[in-house]
Amino acid sequence: MFTFLNLIFMVMAGVMVLGFIAVSAMFLIWWERKVSAHIQNRYGPMRVGWHGALQSVADVIKLLLKEDIRPTKADAWVWWLAPFFAVVPSVMAFVVIPFSKELIPRDLNIGVLYIMAITSVCVIGIFMAGWGSNNKYSLLGGMRAAAQIISYELPLILSMITVVMVANSLSMQKIVEAQSRCWFIFHPNLALAGLIYIIAATAEVNRTPFDIPEAESELVAGFHTEYSGMKFAMFFLGEYTNVFIVSAIATTLFLGGWKGPLLPPIAWFLIKTYGIITFLMWVRWTFPRLRVDQLMGFAWKFLTPVSFLNLAIVGLLLLK
Amino acid sequence: MLHGLLQFLSNHGIPQGLVIQATFYGIAGLTVLFAFLVVMSRDIFHSAVFLVLTLFGVACVYLYLDAEFLAGVQILIYIGAIMTLFIFAIMLTSDAKTRLARKIDLRIALSAGAALAIFAIFLKIIRLDAWQPQTLSPTPLGLTQIGKSLMTDFGLPFEVISLLSLAALVGAIVIGKVEKK
Repeated sequence: MFTFLNLIFMVMAGVMVLGFIAVSAMFLIWWERKVSAHIQNRYGPMRVGWHGALQSVADVIKLLLKEDIRPTKADAWVWWLAPFFAVVPSVMAFVVIPFSKELIPRDLNIGVLYIMAITSVCVIGIFMAGWGSNNKYSLLGGMRAAAQIISYELPLILSMITVVMVANSLSMQKIVEAQSRCWFIFHPNLALAGLIYIIAATAEVNRTPFDIPEAESELVAGFHTEYSGMKFAMFFLGEYTNVFIVSAIATTLFLGGWKGPLLPPIAWFLIKTYGIITFLMWVRWTFPRLRVDQLMGFAWKFLTPVSFLNLAIVGLLLLK
Repeated sequence: MLHGLLQFLSNHGIPQGLVIQATFYGIAGLTVLFAFLVVMSRDIFHSAVFLVLTLFGVACVYLYLDAEFLAGVQILIYIGAIMTLFIFAIMLTSDAKTRLARKIDLRIALSAGAALAIFAIFLKIIRLDAWQPQTLSPTPLGLTQIGKSLMTDFGLPFEVISLLSLAALVGAIVIGKVEKK
């Protein structure tokens, strides 16, 4: 019998995921400001709440109250639709993120493929924003994002495929199970894949040293220059959700997922994921931005050949 | 994925047929509508966005056929890779912002005729089979089976396709290469 209890349970699960995304993004924005501040020998936000902990809450209220400005020359519906294209795929990716053995919205048997597919849609949103704004900086930012994401998607997917080959499954839970004895990052065949993954993932989420799509000093803010208020907030939300997603995938594929001693599984999962995010922030605030040609050269002349080679070698090692 | 959802719903008293009827016609209709908008839009960028939505609709139709792997690959390859390159090419086109005037000329009439002819051929092919509905196997086709059949039964077509892609790649480089004087 279909009971309303089940319906309520399903709706609650959805609300929980959305709530987690929003709170996590708010925490990450505060955390990023704090980490960057301490790397640069300053305090960062200090006024609102304990060490500025409520600063993000104040910022969200400010963004909600801001006027939504639409440029007159913008391509109206493309411009309007772009933030949704940027956020919805990253929210959909949460379907297969395993927070613990039971806490996974749905363990699809094509889990890894689903994540690869759904996150590859995000770039369309960046394109639409860049084109719809009808502004040369936005257009340049959109084009740079396109070139970059196409280039780094290849090594990213190839490094994920090596994990699938060793774990012998596309399901996220089975990949976690395959790491009961040894995390894949310490697995001799997969250490290189882990390194390739973290480099390519940094580029995929447009973070320094690969943040040329929104290089402030050259492009104002790149593809989201013309957005204000809640629409800008949605791009921001999408960006931090993507950071969380790539780190959660790194945790699941390389760091043993939710497995760990003593603490409950969800605590381990969150510790590992936020640890990777902090690592990405550390990288962001210590390295300078690459030039466009360096970025593309690195992807096509070094990272892609190396990941193909890695794939072939892991395949050969699995055959024996 | 859809299979599991239907199972879940039918366990809770909602018959499968109802769910499929309620959602399939909506999705199929939207897919056809977006496909129509792809050819009728005056702005080439709008066409590209509609094409993204059409391809997404096709991926949804694959889910109704229990071909989850195909749906995933459809989104990854067609939306994630091919459409990204399409849009990239549009952005590099200098006069992409000019909107085409909507008028009925010989070209439109000819392409409509060609499209109708192809549709008639498809209709003929569809009519060739009686299309007996079959019950789905309880377990969806596993990845191992797909991989094995790609490497054995469909080994030759698979290799021919990769050769074709390689030839296209080399061709694109030759065309795109700037002559050095």
